[in-house]
Amino acid sequence: MSGPYHNLNEKVLSLEDIDLSLTYSYANYLTWLFDDRVELIEGKVFKMSPAPSPLHQEVSASISYSLYHYLKNKSCKVYYAPFDVRFPKESLADKCIYTVLQPDICVICDTSNIDDRGCIGAPDIVIEILSPGNNIKELLNKYNIYEEFEVKEYWVVSAMEKTFLKYTLDSIGKYQPSRLFTLGEKVYSEILPGFELDLDEVFNG
Amino acid sequence: MTEHLSYKETNDKNKVVSLEDIDLSLTYSYASYLNWLFDDRVELILGKIYKMGAPSRPHQKISGKISYFLFHYLRNKTCEVYTAPFDVRFHTGSKADNDIYTVLQPDLCVVCDLAKLDDRGCIGSPDIVVEILSPGNNKKELFNKYQVYEEFGVKEYWVVSPSEKTFLKYTLNAEGKYQASKLFTLGERVNSDVLSGFELDLDEVFKD
Repeated sequence: MSGPYHNLNEKVLSLEDIDLSLTYSYANYLTWLFDDRVELIEGKVFKMSPAPSPLHQEVSASISYSLYHYLKNKSCKVYYAPFDVRFPKESLADKCIYTVLQPDICVICDTSNIDDRGCIGAPDIVIEILSPGNNIKELLNKYNIYEEFEVKEYWVVSAMEKTFLKYTLDSIGKYQPSRLFTLGEKVYSEILPGFELDLDEVFNG
Repeated sequence: MTEHLSYKETNDKNKVVSLEDIDLSLTYSYASYLNWLFDDRVELILGKIYKMGAPSRPHQKISGKISYFLFHYLRNKTCEVYTAPFDVRFHTGSKADNDIYTVLQPDLCVVCDLAKLDDRGCIGSPDIVVEILSPGNNKKELFNKYQVYEEFGVKEYWVVSPSEKTFLKYTLNAEGKYQASKLFTLGERVNSDVLSGFELDLDEVFKD
């Protein structure tokens, strides 16, 4: 990885003023005041898709609602994008963090990881809703991060195909995929005992 | 008359010229299916009729590409690749037409045991089945047909989404259960345990 670009004194007002060939830290990210949403993966800037589609947002809202309802009076919390999750390798200092993602939805059970700026450290569950044209990031780049940082479950939802796939971290820290679930099925989570997600409600609700 | 038409009854009086004349609540065999002369494409799963929609252009483009790569790889090899419409009959014991209740038309299939091929299609499990998803029709592919392919021992079941540009491969494990691969996408290449040396470049498959 090339050395990070460190000019933390200057606020950046336009995404176009950023050299996308360079490597940046969370400290840089905090100086970016433009409206465009971006993510950092190992220091590289990834633009987020144009605003998510209504279908994406309907599915996101439905899953968030089910999780929120289930988690009432429980210790885990659910957050949805935009919500920054920092993945620190060693030091927790802003300038030492090179991966900052905005999962569509995440469930965090260790609430000491939550601060005023979001979450620092891996959530217990991350949910990404696919968007045509943006799936390399979700299925390759972010998949690798979630596995490496040991997000216990990574749920991948296709609003268009009405499918749900769950990756579960196995005992050697590798993701094991479920089958592709679809309408007429219910899915469960090892992290949330008793929780049941009815895919008919998610996709047709 | 029982609800299954027997093979002996396959004569002109049993020919059906319109899908609307079929009672979808009943159970049918391949012998009945052979009497259906209408243009609508249907599949039979455990005797129940499932209508097929016309595939979209992106569906057909991707189907064409994958079959091209398979065909190219299989030249001078024993396995053969077939594209829909192509009937695959799944028999549990007897191979008689009136004992077969599951007849599917996979988008693509690879058959290595050529003894399973006859003039009407394939009888018995292909080695690989490929289904290309269509929004609105996925329950059949991912639930009903998944169960048939697993139960009948199709070694690999590939599931391709043109809209999401994803590829997932189910492989039969030692216990006869499907194990899913990860969801592959652009920038990745996928292999097959059945076709040694075959490599499918997903950038090529999904290229506009």
